[in-house]
Amino acid sequence: MKIPGISLLRRPHVLAGAYVLDALDGAELTRFERHLRTCRTCPDEVRGFAATATELGLAAAATPPPSLKAAVLGAVGALSSARDVDAAIAAVLSAADARIVSAATTTGGTATVVASHSGRTVVFTSTGLPVLPPTSVYELWFIGSGGARPAGLLPPAPPGAAGATPGTTAPLLASGLASGDAVGITVEPAGGTQSPTTTPIVVLAL
Amino acid sequence: MEPIRPGPSSPAAEPGEADLGALLTLVAGGDQAAFETVYDRVAPPVFGVIRRVLKDSAQAEEVAQEALLEVWRTAGRFDPARGSGMTWVLTIAHRRAVDRVRSETASAQREARAATADVAAGDEVAETVAASLEAERVRRCLDGLTDLQRESITLAYYSGYSYPQVASSLGVALGTIKTRIRDGLKRLRDCLGVSW
Repeated sequence: MKIPGISLLRRPHVLAGAYVLDALDGAELTRFERHLRTCRTCPDEVRGFAATATELGLAAAATPPPSLKAAVLGAVGALSSARDVDAAIAAVLSAADARIVSAATTTGGTATVVASHSGRTVVFTSTGLPVLPPTSVYELWFIGSGGARPAGLLPPAPPGAAGATPGTTAPLLASGLASGDAVGITVEPAGGTQSPTTTPIVVLAL
Repeated sequence: MEPIRPGPSSPAAEPGEADLGALLTLVAGGDQAAFETVYDRVAPPVFGVIRRVLKDSAQAEEVAQEALLEVWRTAGRFDPARGSGMTWVLTIAHRRAVDRVRSETASAQREARAATADVAAGDEVAETVAASLEAERVRRCLDGLTDLQRESITLAYYSGYSYPQVASSLGVALGTIKTRIRDGLKRLRDCLGVSW
């Protein structure tokens, strides 16, 4: 017991207490976690110590500022809707009738649409579109016999990307696809418009 | 890991504890309303533990936010067979606080603060009545430990010291600290009548 090296060698589980209190670092933490996988008595001891540490934690309870709740629930809401969008995008990409169409735009770069008519939804993405000034935006349209209907704005390029060769835009999910629609992109004033004011840089027939 | 034997005293679950585990299962499925209930239940100890370790309310709020978002993101990993929901949550919170306190910048800032005033000491008025009762019970059991056991455990848990830091701070050999922490936790566990 006087010589740490020997006591560790013979009784690694002596570290169970330090482990539970997060007092182990680096190699020693790794070594103990490895020991834990084969030690018969350690898991039970670790669980008892963890429940004891919980009591130490409960004893320190303090009322958090209200701003904490607002921040946490706000972030959870945002993460949650991002997850919903991801799920909807995945649903389009894996739809049985998913159809993928890709074409070069008149200003450079490539536009790609994955469409599911059964879900009446498309996912739009692009690579290499010229970066627009902050006063302009790329707008997506459903183009049918009755004209063009707004289908969403492409996310702006990240700050500092101006003039540089832009990468792939984040997938944009758009609902409301009708039978016979094509999908087009125009350059519009920031904020977008209700009907196109310029000639589409690309039209993708589905 | 090995299959875990049932603990010696099977859990007579604390009131509400079973609910927290069930709520975490709902949270794992993306249930935001369940998460809000979990938040109300765990935020005071999460914030309290982190503030105790960091000794700074503003930084504690930031780290508590990270810890609570980790609870939201990883609720699917909670395994009731391995411990209570509160234990799972507070393990995340304590680990986050310790990670922060051991990062170099944080410890430099902390030393600067410690040199001027002990912020946490004057900040305890916010504690709830229930927490005070719990605190009193824990304090009494801590008083039953030897000085070395008590100081080792409180420096490690409440100040986020690694055990070598505990050893050098108390001027005691490394091997001694390991055993004092372990023996102290055993006594504390038995004194508190913890079931697991």
